[in-house]
Amino acid sequence: MTLAWCLTGWLFLFAVLMAAALLFCMVFFIIMFSDLECDYINPIDLCNKLNQFVLPENIAHAFLTILFLISGQWTAFILNAPLLLFNANKIRNKNHMYDATEIFRTLPGHKKESFFKLGFYLLSFFYYLYRMIVALIAESE
Amino acid sequence: MATPEQQLPPGWTAEWQQAHERYLFIETATGHTQWEPPAGPAPPPSESTPAAAAAPAHHGKRRQYAAGQTQAYYGAEETSMLQPMSQPPPQPGMEPQLFTPGLAAPNQFAMQQQASGQPPYFDPSHGQQQPDYLNGPQQPVYPNPNALADQFGQMGLGGQKPFSLQTANLLTSPPDPRELSLPPPEIRLPPNATVTPSQFANADSSYQRSTLNAFPNTSSLLSKSKIPLALVITPYRTVSENEQPVPLVTDTVIARCRRCRTYINPFVQFIDGGNRWRCCMCNLSNEVPQMFDWDQTRNQPGDRWSRPELSHGVVEFVAPTEYMVRPPQPAVYVFLIDVSHTAVQSGMVATATRTILENLDRIPDEDERTKIAVICFDVSLYFFSLPPGQTDPTMLVVSDVEDVFLPKPTDLLLNLAEARKDGGLENLLTRINDMFKDNSIIGSAMGPALQAGFKLMVPIGGKIIALSSSLPSIGVGALKNREDPKILGTAKESGLLQAASPFYKTFAIECSRAQVSVDMFLFSSAYQDVASLSCLPHYTSGQTYYYPAFNAARAEDALKFAHEFGEVLAMPIMLEAIMRVRASRGLRMSSFHGNFFVRSTDLLAMPTVATNQGYAIEVQIEETINAPFVVLQTAILHTTCYGERRIRVVTTAYPVTSSLSEVFASADQVALAVLLANKAVERSLSHKLEDARDAVFNKLVEILQTYKSSMTAAGAGASAQLAVGENLKMLPVLILGLLKNVGIRQSAQIPPDIRAYSQALLTSLPAQLLIPYIYPTFYSLHNMPPESGTVGPDGTLVMPPPLPLTSERLERHGLFLIEDGQTIFLWVGRDAVPQLVMDVFNLPSYDVLRGGKTTLPLLENSFSQRVNAIIQKTREMRRGVFYPHLYVVKEDGEPPLRLWALSALVQDRADVLPSYQQFVSSLKEKVNGNGGY
Repeated sequence: MTLAWCLTGWLFLFAVLMAAALLFCMVFFIIMFSDLECDYINPIDLCNKLNQFVLPENIAHAFLTILFLISGQWTAFILNAPLLLFNANKIRNKNHMYDATEIFRTLPGHKKESFFKLGFYLLSFFYYLYRMIVALIAESE
Repeated sequence: MATPEQQLPPGWTAEWQQAHERYLFIETATGHTQWEPPAGPAPPPSESTPAAAAAPAHHGKRRQYAAGQTQAYYGAEETSMLQPMSQPPPQPGMEPQLFTPGLAAPNQFAMQQQASGQPPYFDPSHGQQQPDYLNGPQQPVYPNPNALADQFGQMGLGGQKPFSLQTANLLTSPPDPRELSLPPPEIRLPPNATVTPSQFANADSSYQRSTLNAFPNTSSLLSKSKIPLALVITPYRTVSENEQPVPLVTDTVIARCRRCRTYINPFVQFIDGGNRWRCCMCNLSNEVPQMFDWDQTRNQPGDRWSRPELSHGVVEFVAPTEYMVRPPQPAVYVFLIDVSHTAVQSGMVATATRTILENLDRIPDEDERTKIAVICFDVSLYFFSLPPGQTDPTMLVVSDVEDVFLPKPTDLLLNLAEARKDGGLENLLTRINDMFKDNSIIGSAMGPALQAGFKLMVPIGGKIIALSSSLPSIGVGALKNREDPKILGTAKESGLLQAASPFYKTFAIECSRAQVSVDMFLFSSAYQDVASLSCLPHYTSGQTYYYPAFNAARAEDALKFAHEFGEVLAMPIMLEAIMRVRASRGLRMSSFHGNFFVRSTDLLAMPTVATNQGYAIEVQIEETINAPFVVLQTAILHTTCYGERRIRVVTTAYPVTSSLSEVFASADQVALAVLLANKAVERSLSHKLEDARDAVFNKLVEILQTYKSSMTAAGAGASAQLAVGENLKMLPVLILGLLKNVGIRQSAQIPPDIRAYSQALLTSLPAQLLIPYIYPTFYSLHNMPPESGTVGPDGTLVMPPPLPLTSERLERHGLFLIEDGQTIFLWVGRDAVPQLVMDVFNLPSYDVLRGGKTTLPLLENSFSQRVNAIIQKTREMRRGVFYPHLYVVKEDGEPPLRLWALSALVQDRADVLPSYQQFVSSLKEKVNGNGGY
C-alpha cells in the first residue's frame, strides 16, 4: 500500500515538472509568434526554430499520458487523451510542422492552438500538484 | 464603307472607341451613351434582308439547340443577322440594313416596362417582336430612367449622390459580354485631392484596381455590404507601343514620409510655402528634400510641378545606393533540360535548344554581364564547361545524384557575351540534341538537377528555367505517380493538388532566400505531378507552363512552345525584388494571393519580378476612416537587368463613403472575380474542392441578399426579381464561369495535372487574362459585320461583336470562334456550306475537314484573310506570353474535343453543372430564403 502511494507521489512530482516544461515551451511558441507578427523574426527562421520543438513537445506529452495509463491514473489519463489524439492525428496527416510558405495564412490558427495548449498545461500543472500533495499526505498518514 | 456617323438620327453622334474597337453612340442633348446604334428614323424592321433570305433553312433548324426556357432571354423571334459565305462582299448601302432588325427595340422595351411595371420573365403570349440581343437594350445605362427614379425616390437616394446606384434585374437582363470591357466604376475623388490637375494621378486600372472604388469608412459598413475589399495588382505589365511608357525619375531625389515611408505622390499636400509636404497616409509633415526643385541635368532650378511623381500614379524611381543590400547582380539564366528518352523523342530537347539559340540575342544583356549555364539531366547530371577561348564545350557527367556536387569550380556558369564570342555557346546548343538523340534512359533526376543549378548560381541569384518531360523519379524530390481515377471528384481530390513532397516547398524557400526564381516548362503526356512541381514557381515568383503530350512533330506544338519560351527569354528580367503595399491609416493588408513568398506581415519577396502577373491583396479596415479619401501605394524595389536599382511606385486614391449604396455602386466586378478566383483556389487546397465552390457561391448569395434587403424596396421578403447593381450585373456569370473552370469544376474526369495547371493560372494571371479564362469570348464569324476582321479607322483591327456564351447561338451552317486566352476553338457547324469550308480551310467540303490542332491557311479571299486577322489579333491582343493553340472543332467530330469546346460555353448546362438560367434561379431561391439560408 505505502509503496503504491509512494509511486503515485513520485509520478505526480514528475508530471508537475513535465507540465512546467511544456508550459514554458508553449510560452516560447507564443512569444515567437508575436515576434513574427511584429517583424522581429522572419518566417523561415521562425519555422526552423519552432519545428525543432514540435516533436519533443508532442513526445513528452505522449510519454506523460502513457505513464498515467500504465500506472492506472485513469482521471489524469482521460484528461490527457484528447490532446494526445489531436497531436497524433496531426502527425498522421503530416501537418504538425510549421510551413514557412503558409505561416502568415495559418498564424491565427497556430496562435489559438498554442494558447489553448498553454491553458491546458497550466490547469494540468495545478492538478498534478494537487494530486502530488494528496499522495504525499496519504503517504505520511 | 458607310460609317455609322452618316446613319444616325438627329441629335446623335458616334465616336470611335479605340479601347473597345467599336463606335460609342452619344445622344448630344442628354449625354446618354450606348454601344448600339440608336433607334431613330431608320427604315422599319425588314424581314426580307438579302441575308435572311439567303438562309432559308436557318429558322427551323436552330430551334434544335435552343432549350425552350432560354428563348425568354434572347427573344423568341430572333431575326437572323446572317450573311452567308456565298454572298459577294456587301455593298456600302447594305450596312444599315444589318442593324435594322432591332433598331426600334429599345423603345419597345421601355414601353413594355412602363406598361407592366415589371418586365415579364417570359411571356410567350407576347406577339410582338422581342428585342434582339445584339441590338437590344443591354446598354451600360439602364434603358428606363423614369422607372428607376421612382425606385430611387423610395430609397431616399437622390440623383445628386456622387455614385448613383442603378438596379438591374438579373432575371430579365441576360449577361452582355461587352460589359466586361467597360472600365471599372469611376473613382470620384473630392476636388483638390491631387496637387496637380493630372489625369494620370490615379494609376490605371490595369496596374492596380480595387474591388470597391469607394472605400467604406468603417469595417462594420464593409462587413454589412458583404463585398470583400481587396486590391488587384499587376505592377509590371508590358507597355504596348501606342501607350505612354512609365515615367522615370532619374535624379535619385526620393521624397518619402519619415514615419510611414510612403513615397511622395500626387495626393500629398504642400504646406508651409511649399517647404514641407504633408503625407497623405499618416498626415505627418515632412521636409521637401533640398534637391527636389533642382534640375540636375541642366544644373538650374527646376519646376517642381513637372516632376512625374506629382502627376503620375505609376512612376519609377532610380534608387540611390542606400537602397542596395549588395551591388546589383548580373542576370543569371540556368537552363535545366530533361534529356531522358521521352524528352528527346517528343522533340522537346531539339525545340528548346533551338529556341534558346534563336533567342540568344533577345536575352537581356545590355552591359554584357548576363551569365548562362546549361545542365542536362536524366538519371545523371550533365554539365557543360566552356573555358574562355575554347569553342568546344566539355561535358562532365555526375552520376551521384544523392549528394550533388559541381564537377568543376569554374567555367560552368558562362558569361553570355564571352561564350558567344567564339561561337562556343552556339556550338553547345546545336549539339545537345545530337548528343542525346539515342539516349534510352528513362527517369528524371529533376530534384538533384535543381539543386545543382541552385549551387551554381547561389552567390548571385537569378532564374532557373527547368524543362522536364517526366515525373521526377530519382534523388531528392522524387515523386510517385499518385494519380488515382477513383478519388477524382471525391473529397480526397484536393490532396492531389497539394505538393506531394516537402522538398518543393523547402527548396522554394531556399531559392527565395538566395534570390533564385524558378520557371517550369512541363511536357509530359503521362502524369507529371504538376501540383508538386508548380509549388516552386509559386513561391519563387516564377510561372509554370504546361504542354500536355507535347510532340514537336506537330508544327503547332513546336510553334506554341517556341513562341512562349522565346517570349520568356526576351522578357526584361528584374531581380531581387521586394514588394510592399502601404495604405492610409486605418487600413491594413491582411492576406496575400499570388506567386511570391510572404517574408513578413506585409513584405512580399520576389527573386525576380514576373511581368504580367497578377496579385490579389485583401485589405482590412481596422479603424474608422475620417479622411475624405484613402491612398494605397504599391512599391516594388528591384534591380533591372542592366544593373540599376529601381523602385516602381503605383498609387491609387479612393474616396471614402459612409453610404451603403455608394459602396455597392462602386464595386468592380472584374476585380471581385479575380479575388474570388484566387480565394477559391486557395480554399480548394486547404479544404475540399466542394468547399471552395460553396464558398464562392455563398459569397455571391450573400452579396445579392444584402443588395436586395438594403437597396431595393423588396426588403427581406420574397421578390420576383433578382436585383443587383448595374455595375455588378456580370458578377453572377463570372462566378458561374469560375465554378465551371477546369481548376474548380465539379467533375470526376479532369486529370489532376490539368487541374493543377489551371489552378496555377487562376492564381497568377492578371485580370486582363483571367477574365477571358473564366468567361471566354465567343464570336460568330460566318455572319460577322463587314468591318470585322478589317483594320478600323484608328488603325487597329475591328473584332466581331462578342456573343453570350450559350450554344443556342451555334448555328448548323455557321463558323464560330471561342477563345479563353489559352486555347482558340474554331467551331464548324455540320451544315457548313462547301464554299465556307473552301474559303477558310481550302478543302472541298465539310466531310474532308479534320478536327484538332491546326494552322489556318491564309488564302486569297477576303473572308480567309479576315478570319486569320481575327485569330492573329486574338493571340496578340492580351499581354503575356501565351500563344493559344487553334483547334478546329467539327460539330459531329470526336466527342472529347467537341465537349471540351462546348465546356467553354459556360452559360449552358453541362452534366451536373447548371446553365445560367438555372444558376440565376437557384440564386434567386437562396436570396429569397427558400434555400435553407
